[in-house]
Amino acid sequence: MRRHQEWLTSGEWILLFALLIQVLVFSAIAPNFFTRANFFEVLRVSVELGLLAIALTPVIVSGGIDLSVGAMMGLSAVVFGAASRDWHLGIAAAALVALVVGAAGGALNAVLVSRLELPPLIVTLGSLSLFRGIAEGLTHAAVNYTDFPASFLALGQGYFWGVLPAQLPIFIAAFAAYTVLLHRSVLGRALYAIGFSPAGARYAGIPVQRRVGLVYLLSGLMASVAAVIYVAHMGQARSDAGTGYELDAITAVVLGGTSVFGGRGTLWGTLFGLLALSVLRNGLQLAALPSELAGVMTGTLLLVTIGIDRVRMGARAAAVSATEALDVRNSQVAVLCATMLVGSLIVAGTNVWLVRSLASSYGRSGAALAQPSGQTSGPARRRPVIAMMPKAKGDPYFISCRAGAEEAARDLGVELIWDGPTSLDAARQNELIENWITRKVDAIAVAVENRGGISSVLRKARGHGIRVLTWDADAEADARDFFVNQATPEGIGNALTDEAARLLGGKGEFAIITGALSAANQNEWIANIRKRLAERYPNLKLATIRPSDDDRDKAFAETQTILRVYPAVKLVMAISAPAVPGSAEAVRQANREGDVNVIGLSLPNINKPYVHGGVVQAVILWNTRDLGYLTVLSAARLVQNAFSPGARSIDAGRLGTIEVRGSEIILGAPLLMNKGNIDRYDF
Amino acid sequence: MPDRRVVSVALTIAALSAVLAVAAPGFFSRENLGDLLLGNLPALIVAMGATLVILAGEIDISVGSVFAICGIVAGLLAQAGSPMLLTIAGTCATGALLGALNGVLVAYAALPSIVVTLATMVALRDGLRWATQGAWVQNLPSGFQWFGLSQGAYPLVACAVAAVLQVTLSYGLRHVAAGRAVYASGSDANAARLAGFNTALVKSAVFTIGGALTGLAALLNAVRFNQIPSNAGLGLEMKVIAAVVVGGVAIRGGRGTLAGTLLGLVLLALIGPALVFLGINAYWERAIQGAIILAAVALDAWRARRRQPDVMLAVQAS
Repeated sequence: MRRHQEWLTSGEWILLFALLIQVLVFSAIAPNFFTRANFFEVLRVSVELGLLAIALTPVIVSGGIDLSVGAMMGLSAVVFGAASRDWHLGIAAAALVALVVGAAGGALNAVLVSRLELPPLIVTLGSLSLFRGIAEGLTHAAVNYTDFPASFLALGQGYFWGVLPAQLPIFIAAFAAYTVLLHRSVLGRALYAIGFSPAGARYAGIPVQRRVGLVYLLSGLMASVAAVIYVAHMGQARSDAGTGYELDAITAVVLGGTSVFGGRGTLWGTLFGLLALSVLRNGLQLAALPSELAGVMTGTLLLVTIGIDRVRMGARAAAVSATEALDVRNSQVAVLCATMLVGSLIVAGTNVWLVRSLASSYGRSGAALAQPSGQTSGPARRRPVIAMMPKAKGDPYFISCRAGAEEAARDLGVELIWDGPTSLDAARQNELIENWITRKVDAIAVAVENRGGISSVLRKARGHGIRVLTWDADAEADARDFFVNQATPEGIGNALTDEAARLLGGKGEFAIITGALSAANQNEWIANIRKRLAERYPNLKLATIRPSDDDRDKAFAETQTILRVYPAVKLVMAISAPAVPGSAEAVRQANREGDVNVIGLSLPNINKPYVHGGVVQAVILWNTRDLGYLTVLSAARLVQNAFSPGARSIDAGRLGTIEVRGSEIILGAPLLMNKGNIDRYDF
Repeated sequence: MPDRRVVSVALTIAALSAVLAVAAPGFFSRENLGDLLLGNLPALIVAMGATLVILAGEIDISVGSVFAICGIVAGLLAQAGSPMLLTIAGTCATGALLGALNGVLVAYAALPSIVVTLATMVALRDGLRWATQGAWVQNLPSGFQWFGLSQGAYPLVACAVAAVLQVTLSYGLRHVAAGRAVYASGSDANAARLAGFNTALVKSAVFTIGGALTGLAALLNAVRFNQIPSNAGLGLEMKVIAAVVVGGVAIRGGRGTLAGTLLGLVLLALIGPALVFLGINAYWERAIQGAIILAAVALDAWRARRRQPDVMLAVQAS
């Protein structure tokens, strides 16, 4: 057997080629994609994910899997936060504690997988719940550790020599160490042997249990390193850190050509896979293409890369010994060709879309080329570009805001980029803003998921001359020009509590169905509800709080259980848009309408059947369409200098004159929608 | 002899039930059990399909996305005024088609199933999000909810469907040649091929059946409501795979039963509501869930270890 194979395997060449195509395409269509700053920005946002991916590579090479890495990030992050703030340890000591927790979690997986010989999939699925659950339990999913010293934050946000992201050296060191471990040591060869055939490895005298245990231990440790960097990057530590990262990391590893059956794969492949994912996401965002495309294209990329690799491996099947016979039959070639055809059709379809969006922005980019260093303000020959971000794109609440935003963009002749995370994700929000800064938009309007985490990047945007607004939820006051305030958390909490008290006659028990347990908005509302209860309604008792994870079906099941466990509960307050119809249906099916009331914070359309059916008494919300409208309008007025700090009011087109209080633009009091007026609203 | 893991899981369920019987007897009321049964039937039906796929040595993590798409398709069909039978057929066919896409890629293009279904999971979920822009299907015809039956009659129908599927598939896996072919393909694909099984056909078939079952489950879930959200089934794949594997099906295929899957799902479905009945704070729930899963499988490993010496003796004796 050759000791040194060629530098890159065939799969890696394919991936490198795909990466090259991505870079070429995005350089052509995405403004400021091909710049040094953007290159390093892509690397920066890849570090946390990259650490997980390189730690997963030996795990998968040895024939295992570790699904718990994302959850371990969450646990290490909150332990780190607690250690530095509550236990008053220094940053270094706190980081050490976090690493110990990571190693301990990794050791738990290691013992269960290697000593007890349990399937790694089920072990790490269990420890995923366990780690995330402990993180949520310790912090009640609500504590958010912030206020880290600036010297520590520089690790995640600063630069060496003005260009090199500070966390990059850590990644490079980790990559180098893992390269030695996996590709240049006896230990690494042992892992390949184990992945190839555990029994064979044992007969060859390899201590299989110890070697396998080691990779799980290291994977836990690396997850906590990633957690510390994540905290420095985001400026906050919360129990939801790293949610879903395990899947992205596995995607990167598999894309890099590592066989999920073990025994085959390289770290270079993982690195290329990671870059392919990050560049794809970054390029799509810079080109202002919908982020849903990323999923579709990642899927296609996976199938095509692995498919081609598979065919080429098949062609050399005689050379490569594998347990399965890999002779390629004509039928297989036909299927592969068909797959690639479908893939290319999808790509072609998206290309049509690209071209269309390209055509619409051609005039603008042409103008930008004419004045290359074009700083954004100035007499607007081109249409101002306003980038607006919801907390989550799929949420019906934000979808209805978007309708208003687009209306305003049409009325005012500005260009609107609407993009955001597909589910609540503070890290993704930061990433997107960085990309918008690179793209040099004129104004950014963000519905902030996490104020501690996002403020520093918003300040950076302001430093680049971009107008920054927040809407729906605010960032720190000096990080933005204005906050479009639809209703304060206090106003919402009070309105909900007062309505509950009115319906219950001032006494009795009620239950709350929230969104995700760690959702910041909901937790703030709950805090205000508790406050209002203590102040005004001593006889009103909050029996329990249950999560719905913004899933209608889960809200339904939770409400069913609540109605049985707490028979005294006469009112369910659902404070997540999809949860209100879920709770209402549960009450209706239990035949307790009239006996148990449902109120909540939600959208009119999905609740109309229940409001008219008498199950839902009141839905509280502001006019979301107007909120979107007002946000884009304020941003446009700011960019055109028709409105500036210090103004007492703003001329808001079809909304009339809107009051400005300090740096807050006030939309107005929340709406209370009930049987009488709900039909007037359509969103 | 019943499967080892099945016994471990049954013991865990018994322990949990004993605690509940003492601390919160209300848990065992007919209404509560009925609600739990009805709420978890869709997951059970998806888990049956996942069992077939895993027994055949593959894995399908795209079921959550397929579940969401099938729900929306059912709603759109009903909205377009198609008769109920056509809606049922159309939904199952959509699921089967998406399953077949996975199956063909796995079986005939020889791609690893986790890669294929990871790709389709992400692509289908984002594709659906793009197509619907998060909008729900509303204004369903009145005959849609409960299949046009009464709220009392529907559970009987749904349970009957699930029971028939469970019994038929169990019988089929055990006593029909096609069922044995699934086990054979899963335990050693090469040996199965040499023994004359068409393993590619078997593998694409289990994905197709799994897809059709997911479609059916999505429909059974959708008809419990009068509107259909476009983000249904998030995380369903994890719940289902956990149920299958906790139930003792070997993740590499070839070993396990549908009865095990049923028990695994019962355990997972019990934990959440049980903790509410026991008055445990929601914030600790996920940690306890993880601990119970780990305990159930560790119990299994411990029992195996205790028995190992006997096995070794038996091997030596023979």
